[in-house]
Amino acid sequence: MNFTKDLIDDLASKLLFELSDEENKMVLDEFEEIERNMNLINDIGDICKIEPLTHPFPLESTVLREDDEVFELRQEEVLQNAQDKNLTSVIVPKVVGE
Amino acid sequence: MSLIPTIGIEMHCEMKSHTKVFSLARNTYSEEGNIHVSPLDIALPGTLPVLNKECVRKAIMAASLLHCEIPKYLYFDRKNYYYPDLPKGYQITQSHAPIGVNGKIVVPKKEEELEVLIHDIHLEEDTAQIEHIKDLSYINYNRAGVPLLELVTEPCFHSKEDVIAFLEYMRRVYQYTDISDADVMKGQVRCDVNISLSEDDTLGTKVEIKGVNSFSNIALVIDAEIKRQEELIHSGRQDEIIQETRRWDEATGTTKRMRNKADAVDYKYFVEPNIPKICLDSDWILSIQKSIPVLPMERLKKYTKEYGLSYVDANTLLKEKAISDYYDECVDTSIDPKVACNWVTTVILGFLNKEYKTISDISLMPKQLKMVIDKVSGGVISSKQAKEVILKSLESSCDPSEFLSDDMAQISDEDTLIKIVDAILEKSENQIQAYRAGKTNLFGYFVGQVMKETNGKANPVKTKKLLEKRLNQ
Amino acid sequence: MRSEILSLQEKMKKKEITAQEVLKSTLVSVHENQEKCNSFVTILEDAKVNENGGILQGIPYALKDNFSTRGILTTGSSNTLKNYVPVYDATVYEKLKQAGAICVGKTVLDEFGLGGTGTTGHTGVVKNPWDESRQAGGSSAGSAAVVASGAVPFAIGSDTGDSVRKPAAYCGIVGYKPTYGMISRYGLFPFASSLDHVGVLTRSVMDAAIVVDAIKGLDDKDMTSFDSSSIHLAENLQNGKLDSKKLFYIKEIADISSYENPSEELKDALSLFQKTLEQAKEVGFEVYEESMDETLLAAIPSTYTCISCAEATSNLSNLTGIIFGPRGESRNITDMMVEHRTKGFSPLIKRRLIIGSYVLQKENQEKYFLNAQRVRHLIVDKMNDFFEKYDALILPCSSGGAKPLEGELEVLNKSSMILENHMVIGNFGGYPSITIPNGLVNGLPVGVNLTSKIKSDASLLKMASLLEEKMDIHYELGGKSL
Repeated sequence: MNFTKDLIDDLASKLLFELSDEENKMVLDEFEEIERNMNLINDIGDICKIEPLTHPFPLESTVLREDDEVFELRQEEVLQNAQDKNLTSVIVPKVVGE
Repeated sequence: MSLIPTIGIEMHCEMKSHTKVFSLARNTYSEEGNIHVSPLDIALPGTLPVLNKECVRKAIMAASLLHCEIPKYLYFDRKNYYYPDLPKGYQITQSHAPIGVNGKIVVPKKEEELEVLIHDIHLEEDTAQIEHIKDLSYINYNRAGVPLLELVTEPCFHSKEDVIAFLEYMRRVYQYTDISDADVMKGQVRCDVNISLSEDDTLGTKVEIKGVNSFSNIALVIDAEIKRQEELIHSGRQDEIIQETRRWDEATGTTKRMRNKADAVDYKYFVEPNIPKICLDSDWILSIQKSIPVLPMERLKKYTKEYGLSYVDANTLLKEKAISDYYDECVDTSIDPKVACNWVTTVILGFLNKEYKTISDISLMPKQLKMVIDKVSGGVISSKQAKEVILKSLESSCDPSEFLSDDMAQISDEDTLIKIVDAILEKSENQIQAYRAGKTNLFGYFVGQVMKETNGKANPVKTKKLLEKRLNQ
Repeated sequence: MRSEILSLQEKMKKKEITAQEVLKSTLVSVHENQEKCNSFVTILEDAKVNENGGILQGIPYALKDNFSTRGILTTGSSNTLKNYVPVYDATVYEKLKQAGAICVGKTVLDEFGLGGTGTTGHTGVVKNPWDESRQAGGSSAGSAAVVASGAVPFAIGSDTGDSVRKPAAYCGIVGYKPTYGMISRYGLFPFASSLDHVGVLTRSVMDAAIVVDAIKGLDDKDMTSFDSSSIHLAENLQNGKLDSKKLFYIKEIADISSYENPSEELKDALSLFQKTLEQAKEVGFEVYEESMDETLLAAIPSTYTCISCAEATSNLSNLTGIIFGPRGESRNITDMMVEHRTKGFSPLIKRRLIIGSYVLQKENQEKYFLNAQRVRHLIVDKMNDFFEKYDALILPCSSGGAKPLEGELEVLNKSSMILENHMVIGNFGGYPSITIPNGLVNGLPVGVNLTSKIKSDASLLKMASLLEEKMDIHYELGGKSL
């Protein structure tokens, strides 16, 4: 994989932020390091046969939540931290497109 | 050149539950904005999802009735994307191990049957609602986190009629099983439609139309998209059909390319770490499967094939599970199926429609109905009287026997009837002569006189027989 | 057994000092520490003694600023939340309140816990109380600095890679993260959910046990929490017995012969570790040397980077300024979110998020993210095998003391890369893991780490306490011992 400035900028824009050139350069350097290390991983024999570990360890039992207890925030608590709002809604500039 | 459309459907349906799928806020519709919201529903930092057992139970039920394979472990994935209606920036859904895969279901299509193949069904959460007014958008998080069942069919439909038959049937099934109210008017059902055209068995380029919210619109969408693709193919512009996501534009009645192509988004799915992998107990699954009620398709078969009801009558009974259950109970109390159908579809449903009531509102029990019907077949009361008794019982919520009096009993005793008939004939010399001279339509006059004399209690069949006998002597 | 919590409570019981006086003098020390180290985002001047009468009655503490506290500013040390006042309490905070503890302030971290230096918080760098030209270590930087300074007997931290245990080592105190799920994460701002642990920073093993006893437990708000009601840490420290005391260390990490041209500091650090092993043997531990596949060891840092950054990318997606946090000014909704995130995130976080996003992309997931999860599996399997034979893994926490604030920021000497990062093994497997001070290198404190199999917290602390007692290290910083 060739890591380029454009690739990094594209990744950043998909994450909804912008990078300075300096920040971009730092990411590029880091990628090279990770690439080297990940290639190490790919050298581990039969790695693809191992099941990816998604949780530290399996829990012996999980009791699912019964559908009874209710907890709701008060309306003013819901809206409390929003910078732009009216009495009942959070307000944002018009969302266009889908 | 004849082109065959191939259609696949994604049906999203809001489930019925007390609280939301991952939070303790109520799962209920409200006019007031932002009152059924938990810290998780607005993605406050540090909040965690806690899975609702009832939603899992209903999802397993849905997977089972679709004859899907159910995985040994239940777990969830994050679908990552940014949109103002998605507070967490990801939706918790199931992509790696849906609650059901590889299923199928047979649905009624008019008087035929249609087999629909199910790719998968999975449990996920709904997004917030956004209302646009002028240059602002107003976000209401009441809907954020409401449980959704997403059902994905294989591309196995070839006409809009098939699609609608399937959707209508699934809606009915969800209502029968109490999985969802599936109220289209409330926006509880929303569909994505995939359409491709092809001359042969190979599939053409698939176009997806997202977020169609009524069944009538689905028919329109399918027509419009088929038309669009046909026109492109016929004018040699086949290349312009690309794999893309479009939306339905109600104003123009056409599908439109979406501004940000949703298919360009990489959702970066990965396993949700905050919900452990849960080993599904096979006994639990079995008990859920045992609790599935008899579905409309099976009932339809029984009603038409076994009971000999017309397709129309059967469908009337099947519209609601409660009505069908009531009818079944009538048949179980050994009322003749056709007689029961007649009583339920005309008298009872007529009353319910008039009074805007549902079947759960009435106190008349099938065995009480049977008691009244038996009196008709035993010749004790007339069917007209029976109908009056039942209506009085429905209106007053009293036992129908309270409206059955001795006084009401039909006069069926032949000796009594002969006496009455003879007394009337004695007073009707002129009419008898006219009748015998050929004015046979006077027969009704004599019947009427007997009824008048008996306050309508004379057994009409026997009365007619006796009159005929006397007049034709 | 050493415990500042118990001796403070003893003094209050004997009426030598009142809870009010403790609180008052704590706030004075907290301010001194703030002057010196910049440990706090918020100091709670109006903190009050509560009368809940729990096992931490009257004990002041500091809380990392990534725990949700109702009505109290909670920033995650990020500009994206610089004005965020939560409307709900983290379970840990609630439990501490119930136990009678008094929160005196919210401490600085590396922004959202991503980082190990204590230099990326939005309120500025945290300095090491031992030497203000040095890092406190991170990400629980403020919590470590304030406990080390003696201002409070304990602080709460969080640990995704080594964020409690590393700063504890650099500040010369105890850092302990229990088994994953023993303490609820509800209300902890997430970094990487499958690796995030709540942890404590104290000046003795006993105090760590007492605090964790108070905050652990099954929480119906956290599905990954488990019932640990049969585990009694403090009680076991006092009365429990160890059936066996078998330690092992990994040669490739801890043996000086594994390094080419080791620095003087590294030599000192590893010889101090050897001395600690000798002391362990003197109190009855058996110590074994084990070996681990070098490829697997070398893959540890990248494995951690892939998994933690990927999860972080998703976990921080709620930061858009729509529902909370400062809004961007643009009247275009996307630009508004971009502005919030561009201004709000530090360069370090942005780099992490880009890596996380890259490794999760459809075309890269297999090679990076899923392979990292597979390596995680291999490492955990290997460790579980070890824990069948031994009671705990013992290793030095670092290649030396705290790093200078100026200069070679985060540039790691490749040869000591594994030594500096091995504690993430504890997060990979959710193992209980504790760091205790084992001496000085170049006049700066360093620590030794013990890690054991899941849910064996009680015996792990017992072993750590035996070693603590044998080493008998007492640091007095600023002489502010209450």
